[in-house]
Formats: sequence, structure tokens, C-alpha cells
Amino acid sequence: MDTATHMLRTGQRGTLFQLQMAGRDLRNSFGRLGLAWSLAWHDVSSRYRGSILGPFWITLSMGLMTLGIGFLYANLFAIELHIFLPYVALGIVFFAVMTGTINEGCDTFVQAAGILSQTSLPMLTFVWRTVFRNLINLAHHLVIVVGVLIFYGYWRTADAPMALLGLVLMVANASWLSLLVGIASARFRDIPQIVMSVMQFALFMSPVFWKPGRLKDYQAFLDLNPFYHLLEAVRAPLLGTPVAPGTYLFLVGMAVAGWLVTFLIFARTRRRIVHYL
Amino acid sequence: MKPPPVSITCTDLTLRFPVYGVDAKSLKKALARAAVGGRLGRHSGVTDVTALQSVSLKLEAGDRLGLIGHNGSGKTTLLRALSGAYEPDEGVIEVQGRIAALLDLGLGIDPSATGYENIRLRGRIAGLTAKEIDERMDEIAAFTGLGPFLAMPVKTYSAGMQGRLAFAAATAVDCDVLLMDEWIAVGDAEFQKLAHKRLLKLVERAGILVLATHEAPLLKLYCNKVMRLDGGIASEVMDIRRVDELLAT
Repeated sequence: MDTATHMLRTGQRGTLFQLQMAGRDLRNSFGRLGLAWSLAWHDVSSRYRGSILGPFWITLSMGLMTLGIGFLYANLFAIELHIFLPYVALGIVFFAVMTGTINEGCDTFVQAAGILSQTSLPMLTFVWRTVFRNLINLAHHLVIVVGVLIFYGYWRTADAPMALLGLVLMVANASWLSLLVGIASARFRDIPQIVMSVMQFALFMSPVFWKPGRLKDYQAFLDLNPFYHLLEAVRAPLLGTPVAPGTYLFLVGMAVAGWLVTFLIFARTRRRIVHYL
Repeated sequence: MKPPPVSITCTDLTLRFPVYGVDAKSLKKALARAAVGGRLGRHSGVTDVTALQSVSLKLEAGDRLGLIGHNGSGKTTLLRALSGAYEPDEGVIEVQGRIAALLDLGLGIDPSATGYENIRLRGRIAGLTAKEIDERMDEIAAFTGLGPFLAMPVKTYSAGMQGRLAFAAATAVDCDVLLMDEWIAVGDAEFQKLAHKRLLKLVERAGILVLATHEAPLLKLYCNKVMRLDGGIASEVMDIRRVDELLAT
């Protein structure tokens, strides 16, 4: 037991032991979700201290981007506005949650260096902090989602429970990616730049600003794009369109495989992470 | 069930710091026999510093251990290892009891947040629940003596005021094992007296104190045992009356 009153740290004792210790870190971090939440809340409130709109500034800029791109591309692609604008709005908002969780994941351990080097707090607490921080931001941006769904009448057909399931799958996948890039960035300081570039690339390669129906010969390429599935699982139910079963299969598989691999890497590097910093 | 008694047990604790991105090959020979710092070496391709080598230690309730040694001899590393931050490369560290590490008063202090927020944040990191912090808030606030300044951002504080805040927040914990890197002295003369009293109370309540310091008078005042570290190698734990013997060598 690694409760608040018993601390045990030992040398290398083989892979199985490392896995056990990583598992203990995971359990303890779940026991301290309140701490992760407080830290995340503090991050958000301190980032926007002194500003009147706070995180709503991002919401506002997203809203403007939605309007601009919505009107422009609807014209360019000759799609009706009431179809295209909500589509872009939801795309921008939910893609931002993924990008945020993954990009900020690079900073997870680096930012916590001070705390990690003098306490026995579980390392994964800081991963949940990053995830929670992005969920708090999402809660602000939901204004756009709700606004658009009501304005264009999609609320009648929106399937909120399925969208919630999609969001859970999205967070489950974004969090392992976040942990993975967090470990990698702690060790190699070039990683954050690479991750940022990849996420930017993904934004344009995924159907955020365009509709997949127009993609003729490249459908296979789309089916292999994880960000497409991640986005689709949340966006489609809200727009009242069904999600292909293959998407759920893809996402569950990706979450399980991703967490397995990442957890193994975490178990292997856990004792080293504090030294990377 | 009664919790096991407060204790610290280290068995053959060896701790190496891998140094990434530095090829210390050429430095290695030059530093191998240096009096200051740990010993550099290479293990499985990564340059590393052996910060602690086979340190064994057993402390029980009532023990007040003073750590002495040159800069870089491993005092702070040992304290951090005892706080649970480092995984040993070899050996075992086991600590029974709630640990409080007063190693860096600035831990978790956010300059743009207010005094109150910082007290909350520091308390949460130290393992207090939000409710426990609320219960202690009045006492902590009164102790800082900062009054209305607590509602202002910490960056508007003077260094002394920041010290007061950090000290009050960091010492508002209940612990069985207290780890300290140097006896903490902050604020003006008047506050130092108050701080001293508060620290003593904390030490009295804690079952075990481990204090790293360079000052012999402090050791004689607060510790009943002493251990010397030299390049990561520990002497045996001795009675405090023999501190002069250890300091002389």
C-alpha cells in the first residue's frame, strides 16, 4: 500500500515489479483526482487572471473563425449554410480539445518538475491535470455548440448520450497520447515542436473545415486517419447523423492498444522521468 | 487496526543521476577524485553521477537526525529520496508515517495568484483536503500577519512577505516525518522568532526529523543523532555528542 502514511521505493526488480509500481501510481492518481482537478482549475483561473472574458476569449475567437470559415467555405464548396456552419463549428470546438490535450501534454511533466522532485505524488496526477484543464476549456466553448445547435434547429435530432460516449472515447484516446508525448518531451526537448507541427497538419488533413463526402479516391486515407474517427464520434451524433460502427470499433481498439503500449512505456520510464526534467 | 510506528528504513540505498545530453567522458577523470560533488561514471552508455552509494539508515520515533557534509555530498538528494521523489537504483527506502518535506519553500507558489489561493494550492499539494485547508485558513492567515495583502497577488509582495506566506503555508501540515534542508529562517527579526516557535512545535509533533545543515550549533540544538555524507557515502549514525569528531575529519 502506498497510502499517505506508507512510502516504499526500491531499486530495479524486473518488469513485473515495474508494472506493479506503475499500476500503483495509476491507482493513487485516481485516489487524488480532486488534486488534479484543483490544479487544473488553478491553471485555468491563473492563465486568464485580470482578463474580463477569461477563457471565453478563446470561445470568442473560435466563434469568429466559425462564422468566417462557415460563410466562406459554404460559398466555395457550394454547400448550404445551415448544413455547413454547424458542421464547422462543432469541428473546430472538438478538434481544439484534442489538440489542446495533446499539445499541452508535452508540458505535463516539465511543468511539474518542482513538485515531482520533492514529493511522492503520483505522476499520472499531472496527466489528469492536463486533461481536466482542457475539459474545463471545452465547457466554455460549449456555448458555441449549444448556440449553433439551437439556432439551426439541430437540437431536435441531436443524440446527446451518443455524443457523450464519443467524447469519452475522444478523451480516452487523447489522454494516452498526452501521456506518451509528455514522457517523450521530458526526455527529448524537440518533441513539442514536432507534436505541434503534426497536430497542425492533422487539423488540415482531417475533415474539420471540409466534408468527407467530396473525397473520392481518398476514402481509404480518411478511414485510417484517427482524428477523423475521434471527431466523427462526437460530431455526428450532435448533427443527428449516425456514426459508422467501424468508427467505434476503431476508437475502442485504438484506446485499448494505445493505453497498453503507453502504459508499458510509462512503467519502463517512470523511475527515470524525474531525472529527465 | 493500529498503524505501524513511525519509522524510516533505508537499506543499501544507491542513487545515480543519469545526465542526459552531456558527454562527461573528458570530465570524468578530472572530477573522479574531486572533493566536491558526487562521482561521475558511465553505466550502460549514459553518463551518470552517483549521488548516494549504499546508504543504510534506520530511524524511529524520537530520532532527530542531522545530516552534514560538503556541497554536493548528497544531503539534499537523500532528503528528496526520503520524500519519495526519487526511485533508488539499488536498495530500498521505506517510510512509515506522513511525510512533510520543507525542501523548497517556493514549491507551488504562483506569483500571479493571491495569497489565499497560494495557501490553498500549497495545502493541496501537501495532501490536505479542501475542507482541511478551509479549517486552517484563519490560523494560517493570522500567522502570516499579511492581513489585507492576502487578497492581493503574491508578485506584489516584498521578498520578506513572500517568505512569510510560503513559510506559513508550508508549515500548516501535520506530519510524522519532517524533512528539512537547512533550518528555515524567513522574515524580519520579529517574524523569525514566531517562525522559530512554529517550527519547533512542528518538530515536536513529528516523530522523526531529518535536517540537513552546515551549522554545528543548530545540530546541537535540535538533533540527537548525526550522520556525515561524503561524495554520496554515509558515515554511521552517531550520537550528537560526537558531532565535533565528524566535523573535524
